[in-house]
Amino acid sequence: MIPTSLNDAVALLMQLEVTDIGDLTVLRDALTAMAFENRVSAACQPHVARAARLLGAIIGGGSPNALADLDAVSAALDQALNSASGSAPAPVPETKAATPKSRAKSTVKPRSKTPPKSRAAVSEAVALPPVQHAVVAAVPELRVIAGEVLPSDTDVSLLRDFLTEAGEYISASEAALLTLEANPQDSEAVNTVFRAFHTVKGTAAFLGLAHIAEFAHEAESLLMRVRDRSINYGLACADLSLRSVDMLKALLGAVEDALAGDGALLQPPGYHSLMIALDGYNPAADVAGIVLAPTVETVPRASRVESTAEATIRVRTDRLDRLINMVGELVIAQTMIAGDPHLANSQAPDLTRKVTHAGKIVRELQELSMSMRMVPLRSTFQKLARVVRDTASKVGKSVQFTTDGEDVEIDRNLVDILADPLVHMVRNAVDHGIEQPDDRDRAGKSRTGSVRLAAYHSSGNVVVDLIDDGGGLHRDRIVNKAIEQGLIESDRGMTDNDVFNLIFAPGFSTADKVTDISGRGVGLDVVRRNLELIRGRLEISSTPGYGTTFSLRLPLTLAVTDGMLVRVGAERFVIPLTQIHMSFRPEPSMLSTVVGQGEMVLLRGALMPIVRLHRTFSVRGAIENPLAALLVIVGDGAQRTALMVDELLGQQQVVAKPLGDALGRVPGFSGGAILGDGRVGLILDVRETMSLTTPQLKLAS
Amino acid sequence: MSNSKGSVMNNAAGPASSGAAVLIASARAGKYLTFFLAGEEYGLEILKVSEIIGMQAITRVPRTPEFVRGVINLRGRVIPITDLRVKFGMEAGTEQESCIIVVQLRDVQTGIVVDRVSEVVALLEDDIADSPDFANGVQTDLLLGIAKAGGRVKLLLDIDKVLAAHEVVQMAESTSAHAA
Repeated sequence: MIPTSLNDAVALLMQLEVTDIGDLTVLRDALTAMAFENRVSAACQPHVARAARLLGAIIGGGSPNALADLDAVSAALDQALNSASGSAPAPVPETKAATPKSRAKSTVKPRSKTPPKSRAAVSEAVALPPVQHAVVAAVPELRVIAGEVLPSDTDVSLLRDFLTEAGEYISASEAALLTLEANPQDSEAVNTVFRAFHTVKGTAAFLGLAHIAEFAHEAESLLMRVRDRSINYGLACADLSLRSVDMLKALLGAVEDALAGDGALLQPPGYHSLMIALDGYNPAADVAGIVLAPTVETVPRASRVESTAEATIRVRTDRLDRLINMVGELVIAQTMIAGDPHLANSQAPDLTRKVTHAGKIVRELQELSMSMRMVPLRSTFQKLARVVRDTASKVGKSVQFTTDGEDVEIDRNLVDILADPLVHMVRNAVDHGIEQPDDRDRAGKSRTGSVRLAAYHSSGNVVVDLIDDGGGLHRDRIVNKAIEQGLIESDRGMTDNDVFNLIFAPGFSTADKVTDISGRGVGLDVVRRNLELIRGRLEISSTPGYGTTFSLRLPLTLAVTDGMLVRVGAERFVIPLTQIHMSFRPEPSMLSTVVGQGEMVLLRGALMPIVRLHRTFSVRGAIENPLAALLVIVGDGAQRTALMVDELLGQQQVVAKPLGDALGRVPGFSGGAILGDGRVGLILDVRETMSLTTPQLKLAS
Repeated sequence: MSNSKGSVMNNAAGPASSGAAVLIASARAGKYLTFFLAGEEYGLEILKVSEIIGMQAITRVPRTPEFVRGVINLRGRVIPITDLRVKFGMEAGTEQESCIIVVQLRDVQTGIVVDRVSEVVALLEDDIADSPDFANGVQTDLLLGIAKAGGRVKLLLDIDKVLAAHEVVQMAESTSAHAA
């Protein structure tokens, strides 16, 4: 694919990595052509030319930090796009019309707003006369050392508190800004953002972080004018505000780096240009492009940031964890008392009643302590609205993003780990799932694609569904690709879900990024890795032509694992329930020995290796005959394995704990759990156990 | 609590084999918890002991060195248990009075299995002599010194070195290497 427009170039760049020299060269040549054959406007040219130069350095190997340079290329193209589409008056071209449409949570009627002639203007979109951002072009964007250091008398703990607090303000204002785009008259949203900048400014000044205070002041001034209705919240203004939020994030990041490092504050790239842009903001030139009538039903119920009136208190998480630990202990101690034979034989009914009563209280206490680390998914979802907006405008698509179930709560520790996979999946859904508007037209769908995120509870888990109405996944193509790349030998015995999960395999579809399915591998193995970390499960269903649904099934909390307690000899192990597919006692006809792979069991047409746990963990006195033992099927897709155990002792909720720093990581186990009798049971790390065993099997045969 | 002081002592005792005798002289005196192991009496700086608990069910952890007896539940925390007899290459014994001394090294807790806890003694610098070249199978670089108070010889262990995590790791690697 040779990109012919800036939008195409940005889309291509998103898929490339520093090692894809061939594609980078294509991109460089295309950009050079654009810059010097006057196919882009004068304001774009310097940015495009700079992007091409940087690419040249990466390709030639002359770049000391290729990754950072790639980011710089992306930034340059963004600027080029911005200076092209900054605040052009009508006619609104097609590619640009996609931008306001794609803004999350807003319904737009872009067709009626788009003059008919704009269809011809698609690839010339970038050639529009720049208005607003022409100012930006004059300033070189370099990462300059600000020459500033953290004030020497800084109270580190105060600074840390500030960073946490400011981070919360930023996410709140980001969400509010998106609300504002949908409804520029929302005075509460303006106030939220204004307050955020104002508070950050005050605290930063107090802490001696002059440049942050200064910047927050500029951004605040802009918003003050919006708040006082002296200017409209137009397209350029929205863009400036969002960029200001990003800049504030970067500035805070710099403070964090300075804290961790030598105290030198680095100035994020683009600081000066943004300051100038803020300063030179000209409301007259701004298009009221997003003054759109939002229809009520598409604005999710809780999309607005409500200032919580409830009184809250900040508690350090380690203290909370200790409390939860102690409560967990209390539960076990209580269980031991309640199960004591003396109590069962006791002649005092009063005592039994008192113990039962204490038990109820203890359990309630446990639930309460667990609920203390739960936070709603709202802020996570809000961040994704921004991802949808940015990705959609980058690839020139029109996407409507709706969310549901933001109030569903999930463990604080899970939120951070969940954020990354969701970003990748949402970006993927917009970039590769949703088709281009023209293609959607041809397929008889509305030009605006839909991406929906819904969270709900289901049988003790939290499920997050990501539903797009895009082109869907094609099983055959994925299977062919996977066979080609040596990921599988054939798809025999694989369900659709198994096949679709292959797109998350590391290395899948990195070779050829042009077809509609292959691009889906970019960064998606992160999803898989993080999900494993939080013991989540991903189910994918898809109908070609109608869209794809990704269902993330997550535990409510990491603190408690649903486990199956199994016995091997005299020892007990806990297998995480989410990893278990089924268990059964094998028939003689199901067992076979395959040369080079050892013992195998054939279940419903699928052949999988048997792992004798007693052998892997050298347990004495365990059942040796598979026909007398039980096989527990674990793992997913092509990597299913049968673990051989003596007996299933039952399902149990356990609290996973590290095995102690002195031991470090023990291969095969993810931690220990205190069992009902107060003893420690080891929690199996299924993946590691499988990898521990494979070489042994090969040796044995 | 005792952490900071404990690690100071440890640091001072570190270069025992080099010539920093003056430093050591002031660092070794203090209170020691003594215990028995295969008939010999050993001492352990009291500041590093966090508690003594009775013998309890230990969960074996596969694929760890032999001297790691396993892990126990110490009020909700999982801590590893080291068998000093095995670590010192003595034959494993099952003493009636076996108990577990929980030691606190910086922020890591570890239990050690000993035959019997004896007493707490206060030792003066004069009571402590440098380790001889041999000491009943225990490598001498694991000893702070030898005390001769109360008519008995006590081997004072440098418990940090004895339990040093990297050593455990090395052993773990070598065992898994054998397995493969």
